Amino acid sequence: MSGCKAKTAPVMATPKSNYTGPVVVDPVTRIEGHLRIEVQVENGVVKDVRSSSQLFRGLEIILKGRDPRDAQHFTQRSCGVCTYVHALASTRCVDNAVKVKIPDNARLMRNLVLAAQYMHDHIVHFYHLHALDWVNVANALKADPVKAAKIANSISPRPTTAEGLKAVQDKVAALVKSGQLGIFTNAYFLGGHPAYYLPAEVDLIATAHYLEALHLQVKAARAMAVYGAKNPHTQFTVVGGVTNYEGLKPERFAEFAALYKEVKAFIEQVYIPDLIAVAGFYKDWAGIGAGCKNYLSCGDFADVEGNLDSNWMPPGVIHNADLTKIDKMDGTKITEAIKHSWYKGNSVLHPSKGVTDPQYTSLNDKERYSWMKAPRYDGKPMEVGPLAQVLVAYAKGVPEFKAGVDLVLSKLGVPASALFSTLGRTAARGVECFAIAQKTQGILDQLMANVKKGDTKLYTEWKMPKEAEGVGFVAAPRGHLSHWIKIKKGKIENFQLVVPSTWNLGPRDDKDVMGPVEQALMNTPVADPKRPVEIIRTVHAFDPCIACGVHVIDAKTGEVSKFRVL
Amino acid sequence: MSDSPKRILVLGVGNILYTDEGVGVRVVEHLQERYSFSENVTLMDGGTLGTRLMGPILESDFLIVVDAVLGGDPPGAIYRLTGEDLRKSLAFKDSMHQTDLVDTLIYCGLVGNRPDAVVVGIEPEDYQSMAVELSPTLAKRVEDMAQVVLREIEQAGGSHTPSAA
Repeated sequence: MSGCKAKTAPVMATPKSNYTGPVVVDPVTRIEGHLRIEVQVENGVVKDVRSSSQLFRGLEIILKGRDPRDAQHFTQRSCGVCTYVHALASTRCVDNAVKVKIPDNARLMRNLVLAAQYMHDHIVHFYHLHALDWVNVANALKADPVKAAKIANSISPRPTTAEGLKAVQDKVAALVKSGQLGIFTNAYFLGGHPAYYLPAEVDLIATAHYLEALHLQVKAARAMAVYGAKNPHTQFTVVGGVTNYEGLKPERFAEFAALYKEVKAFIEQVYIPDLIAVAGFYKDWAGIGAGCKNYLSCGDFADVEGNLDSNWMPPGVIHNADLTKIDKMDGTKITEAIKHSWYKGNSVLHPSKGVTDPQYTSLNDKERYSWMKAPRYDGKPMEVGPLAQVLVAYAKGVPEFKAGVDLVLSKLGVPASALFSTLGRTAARGVECFAIAQKTQGILDQLMANVKKGDTKLYTEWKMPKEAEGVGFVAAPRGHLSHWIKIKKGKIENFQLVVPSTWNLGPRDDKDVMGPVEQALMNTPVADPKRPVEIIRTVHAFDPCIACGVHVIDAKTGEVSKFRVL
Repeated sequence: MSDSPKRILVLGVGNILYTDEGVGVRVVEHLQERYSFSENVTLMDGGTLGTRLMGPILESDFLIVVDAVLGGDPPGAIYRLTGEDLRKSLAFKDSMHQTDLVDTLIYCGLVGNRPDAVVVGIEPEDYQSMAVELSPTLAKRVEDMAQVVLREIEQAGGSHTPSAA
């Protein structure tokens, strides 16, 4: 980490308009899945929100009657991003149902792949899914490469040259000239936008790292595959442990270690400095997008698989932003409401009793408007994901998280309360990535030490019971994930998934209380209703990934995204 | 690098949970079960895409994508797409997935290696019902698809031999 302080600008006044009327973003791009956000703007400020998932989830239906061991292969095919976390949650839930204790090496390998998935996901999210909400790539062409190199060298110990940055400008200019704007299509900054505040030089640094991260993320994905056997869709977890005997060899350790070292250096010397530099110009966003201020984390990276209290990233519940009192997470307090969803009835059920009985009405229905159910904890909406996970770990004083949070807060010169915001949500993702990068070495060392001692056990024998119930929790890069299974006659009788993005992006509940993203969008200023970048910033900060929540209903994929101002 | 053979990547893509949407993955599995290939050929189940496919794509000179394609012909029609027509492939649309394949190829170009690409596609009959089996119409066509892919591999400079049963 660099000892130099990033030069930060004074807090900008957020631009507003006096527009009144609806704004619809459909589909939201640079996410996984199909999401429609409909807001009502009054005098330039958001006053009503509906987050509508346009896809129907039917995984439960396809799983009924199958062998419980196969659940992971179905659940992880629901998505192209978080494939492994579903494999892990499904495996853990069957582990839990059949009451098997897996070997220590299996726990460590599962944790290693999870760590690699985190590093990959968060780097891709920051640079490729979220950065264009804050960084104006077109503006980078106006930068002075010499000045930009000076700034880059002041915020990171890793040397940057003006020539290198000039080459990036040439590359971007060629891309713009070729008309193949694919990745920047519909970018809000095209033609200038008042809500983008970075100096051209910082835009250029971030653009250079956007390109570099494209290359780097390949290495993080490969690290996942060293122990996960393949990527996407890992193939190494089984009920009772893992199957990767190849992973016990010294050359595999070396391969993982080399990839990890490079990824870790990038996180420390590029991602975190960039996050601090960019955030420094957007401090007004520390006051926007707070949302429900209740946070739920199941934590992960257990010392004892299946025992949540042994998680290095601890489980816990925070109510109303009170960090002095962390409640214990209790899985029995989770319910799902469907009053405002496209399902029959108005039930509020625990996931283990959940039913999936679809009943679509219409796109214009203001009462029932989403394929997502509304998950609640103790009857309350909960934000899940990096911010929730970091807040719980920070409040509980986990050293790696405390170091990360303190570093970012002190460099930005903002108080801890700034974390309850869209800016804080994006910063927390970087902190989490940084903390996990610190932790990974210890997991690898322990696995190597076990093998050195002669412990090469990866699998524990077990028997399929006639009847059983189980739950598997995973703190995924997008937050709290749980899979619930009921086994009858050795087959799946009922299987329910409660996925992170449903917690965050779900609709109103049985008491008509808005979901976390809906609450977070309230009072957001919108400068240009035709290019509502402010809405997208907050939505993207949650890193939506909803393909697993649902599936496409209308065959009109491939529609060109456009905003309609009705 | 004209003296070394082209590195060929055959990528079967799609979601196997939605009947014919998984046809690309099924054709690749069919080929993997029945043939062995020369050193320069890699077959891969690319599943539901995402930026994680960049690694293997960057390490190839020629990319053969196998996928469901909405071309407007009757279900079971087999297509060969290049250039602008790629957009008819489900994987190349602004699709359900985090990044579609066109964007992924542009990313690869930005990073320094964008292979030439061809899509071997087939018109799906049903890509909305949740089932892991192909529709009967497409199941009958898997062998034909496999033969088309084998020809593409040969033309690109790869070879295959039937696996010992």
